[in-house]
Amino acid sequence: MRKPVIDAVVGLVAMLVLSSLAIAQTAQSQSTQGNEARSPWKYYPRDIATGDGGPAPKRDLSGTWAGPGSSPAVPRGAAAERPSLTPQAQQLMNERKPIGKFGPAGANDPTARYCDPFGFPQNVYNEGRALSVATMPDRVVILFQYMDVWREIWTDGRALPAKVGGSDKDSLDPTYMGYSVGHWEDDYNFVVDTTGLDERTWLTNAGYPHSVNARVQERFTRVDHNTMKLSLTIEDPTMYAKPFSLGTYNYKWLSNQKFNEWLCLPSEQIKYLTEQGEPAGSFPDAPPARYGGGR
Amino acid sequence: MKMKTKVPTFVALIAGLLMMGPPLLAHHGDASYSPTPLELKGCVITEYTWMNPHSLIKFDYKTQEGVVQHWIMEIGSPPSMALLGWSRTTLKPGDVITAYVLQSKTGRFVGRTNKVILADGTMLGDRDDATPSRYGGDQKK
Repeated sequence: MRKPVIDAVVGLVAMLVLSSLAIAQTAQSQSTQGNEARSPWKYYPRDIATGDGGPAPKRDLSGTWAGPGSSPAVPRGAAAERPSLTPQAQQLMNERKPIGKFGPAGANDPTARYCDPFGFPQNVYNEGRALSVATMPDRVVILFQYMDVWREIWTDGRALPAKVGGSDKDSLDPTYMGYSVGHWEDDYNFVVDTTGLDERTWLTNAGYPHSVNARVQERFTRVDHNTMKLSLTIEDPTMYAKPFSLGTYNYKWLSNQKFNEWLCLPSEQIKYLTEQGEPAGSFPDAPPARYGGGR
Repeated sequence: MKMKTKVPTFVALIAGLLMMGPPLLAHHGDASYSPTPLELKGCVITEYTWMNPHSLIKFDYKTQEGVVQHWIMEIGSPPSMALLGWSRTTLKPGDVITAYVLQSKTGRFVGRTNKVILADGTMLGDRDDATPSRYGGDQKK
């Protein structure tokens, strides 16, 4: 009777000793990882500032932010709404072949085929893993990691252009980023209105269209020093029966304020499509599947 | 009386669903590939290209009959794969790996990577469910 008790005590002691060794090794490993030299020139997507970092500065979004998909530390945002399409929008949708259904071989998405820029607003919520905000006296500039593109949001009190894309001499040309004006609704909410978007750009990678007269409104909220949120809505009576939300996206302060260059190069796109995408084939009638690809 | 109010609501709900378009944000689909991975041992890397939109791994695989097959398989984009431990220098020509590949339904030697095991035993995958989607928020169902 005594032997099983002794065996149990010996086993318990051995387990405790091994556990403490394992804990010590883990702690040492974590400590070593934490002490690794960090280059100020390198992008560390997982190195997000912890905590709130203190109160939000007033009327300031400046800095470099980690966005959706950049690391597990950036929480998922709120979902976009499903829009109600007008007949004109439905006709365009019938012509579009998004990569999600047709794959790289069958898609006619100009970004998926040719590395054409997403344009605004898709560049906010597609590949929007990092961005910087810079504040100038008369505008706020947003610098996007993906494709090294930027947009200007004018804060000098000007109105949005009345005519874009028309045949009049005084009508402005549509652009991939549109024309944007912004104002501080209060010390922590920056509201931006944009119009004049080039109709060649897709609203989403599912192929939703927009007209040149679409109005997109963004609300940037500086929650605290380390947290920013962005909500978008679109109003476009030509394409949609009513305004709808394009979702809410979360951003966290990137610790060393450095992101890397990340381009879509047409030469690499051609290599990918020629060697991989097109030989793999297009199966639009197959059930949707996703086996890999990270986030 | 209550039924009278519920039926129009139900009809309106169905009508609303029928008016809806496809999902607002769709992922890059993998419908071109078989869901069941092939295990290919002793694959010799011939080219590794760390690039957009998806990095590519080329390798030679010798069958039991001695026939050499020239394969190419994709992984995700560099920022996605970096979160899973991949880098520009993970592979080089001459490296020997075990490849788990989801072959194209066309039957060609083209596939999506399921995972690879390097010569030192390191396993690298091609899927990240820990990181919330780069699309920020999926669409409301």
